[in-house]
Amino acid sequence: MKKLILILAVLLCLGGRSFAAVDWESKGMQLAGEIVANPSAFFYDFQQDLEGTTPLPPGKRFSVQTGLFPSLLPMGYMNLSGKYRLHGEGRIAPGVPQLDLIGGYCDMYWAKMLAKQSDSIDSAKLNGYYLGAILSSSVSPKIRTFWGYKRSVLGAKFEFAPGEELDLMGTKVGNIDTGFKDDFLMAGIETPKGINKFWSMQLNYGIRTQTFSTKLSWYGPHFELGINIYPEGVLVFHPVWNFHVNF
Amino acid sequence: MKKIILSVVMLAAVDSYAAVSEDSKIFTPYFDMTLMEAAYLPSKGNIFSGGNINTQVGLLTKITKNDSVFGLYNFNYTGPAFQPQDSKQFTDRNMSHGFNFEYRRNLGEKFRVRPGVSLVTDYSRSGANEAWQNGLYNMSSKGGQLAADYNFDFDRNGFLTATYIVRKITFPNYTDLLREFKNANNTAETSGGLQDQSLTQFSFRPNWNGFFAGYTYTQQIYKHQMVVDAHSGVYGSTKQKDKSTMIDGGFRQRLWIFDLSPMLSYTIHRSNQNYLRYKSALGGDITNMADGSNDITMVAKNYDYNELTFSVPADLNITGKWAIGGAINVTRRVYTDRGARNVDNNYTASKQHNLMSTLTGSIRKRMNDVATMRLFYSLVVASSNNKFEKYMPSNYTGNSFGVAYQLSY
Repeated sequence: MKKLILILAVLLCLGGRSFAAVDWESKGMQLAGEIVANPSAFFYDFQQDLEGTTPLPPGKRFSVQTGLFPSLLPMGYMNLSGKYRLHGEGRIAPGVPQLDLIGGYCDMYWAKMLAKQSDSIDSAKLNGYYLGAILSSSVSPKIRTFWGYKRSVLGAKFEFAPGEELDLMGTKVGNIDTGFKDDFLMAGIETPKGINKFWSMQLNYGIRTQTFSTKLSWYGPHFELGINIYPEGVLVFHPVWNFHVNF
Repeated sequence: MKKIILSVVMLAAVDSYAAVSEDSKIFTPYFDMTLMEAAYLPSKGNIFSGGNINTQVGLLTKITKNDSVFGLYNFNYTGPAFQPQDSKQFTDRNMSHGFNFEYRRNLGEKFRVRPGVSLVTDYSRSGANEAWQNGLYNMSSKGGQLAADYNFDFDRNGFLTATYIVRKITFPNYTDLLREFKNANNTAETSGGLQDQSLTQFSFRPNWNGFFAGYTYTQQIYKHQMVVDAHSGVYGSTKQKDKSTMIDGGFRQRLWIFDLSPMLSYTIHRSNQNYLRYKSALGGDITNMADGSNDITMVAKNYDYNELTFSVPADLNITGKWAIGGAINVTRRVYTDRGARNVDNNYTASKQHNLMSTLTGSIRKRMNDVATMRLFYSLVVASSNNKFEKYMPSNYTGNSFGVAYQLSY
């Protein structure tokens, strides 16, 4: 391992002369501009973090899940998800895939707090849900592929107090009602990492908005650790920590 | 852009063969997912992130002993990254959906034919973050292929493959803004479709025992784009036609604890299109278009080039799970007629040549039989005798570091 570090250090030194100073202020303004340009897409990425889009482990009938990071903390998404197995793989007939129904709801607590604390905002809501189904099929003792569909909806509604409306270039805006809605197709592959432990990789693709993401997940009986990657999002990497119980 | 089209078409053609191994099962699924995400720090410009996602999902269905059908869906996303000179901006992205359907018919033990169809939709996006549907270079391609394989050595996977493909390629959003501006009353008809083209390609590829080689000839015939006359400087009646010939070779071998996969290719690209360089929109002196420092300069055969590429990736397997990787990639392009420009945008006597070298160090972990993870650092050095870099950098260095995952079944 020391040799590895040494080699990488040498490579970094070779490249060192080409490092330009990173303009973090400019980068921050660019990211802020992207959030302002499309706030729903920014917040929807966090909803995807809490969505349970992997199949139930073989032998389990249902599960409940809640996203801990970054959904509950720091984003303040109160959330609950569930999965229900309609039938197990090969139960109806040999080769018929497992079919799970998935769904969940989330509501941003910080938005409600903002409305309570602010004199200029009467109400603020940022909530969403998702519903879908996942087919999963074993292609070898160590490999399970899965395919799915989900409909995801995120609503964002802000009402300003009379006299406190937003002034956008001379136009008074009394409320903002926006959101994100799309139908997603999912494809993934799962492989065991140990007893009751799995590793999976999946692609989610929104048909209408062409939003896409990949999820890398490591999950066991109770926790899921993941890296969600949103290549076209404001924050590309989302480290994810979710809690679930399977029955 | 032409390189992107060629890459998309060639990937579709190659993947459809290399995707699965056939066995006695009726259904054989295929799944391959590669994910790479990296941070890029160029010597010119600010830090940015980019990545690549490639997902292939396929199914081989064996109908009879000699007949099978193979369907493959390919999602590919190429994010911001360092680019070879004269190609794309760092911030440009592409996303494509490709569908390939192939019928495979065995003719005896050694021969096989594979007719097929291909549909590809490619979206492009610039740093301006326009909607995917509005990309100027959005492209759709449809066409067919006829491939034939001859297996001459079953023990060492020796076969010859000849492939002929035809594609009709359209760019629904592409327009010429200058023509629209000059002819505002009749824009859509005159300025659209200039990139639309038909592409034909023939390739011949022998493979044996991990060694491979290939000859590929590609012809692109533009449907509407006319050639700028080299003498008058105005569009003539000849349509643009590009030809490209590529010879490549390499091998994939395991030598002791090393995994080696070096590759060498040489491309000759020729186009009948010329280029009229305006230093500014106000330039109007057409009396001496041969003068490289004139406001308007004619560069005949501006797009003709010869390109040499070689890469030497190697993995040193320390244990069954861990490996140290190293790779050198070099691309050198020499334009046959295009002069290099100085910082003032004046052509010089020497012909333009670009060199892009990438040195990569990595650590690879094999997670299990089907999955690998790689942490990598790359140093890119791009140099050129073209010193006019107002719009795109020709001389820069860059560092990138990131992580890549691959899961393949």
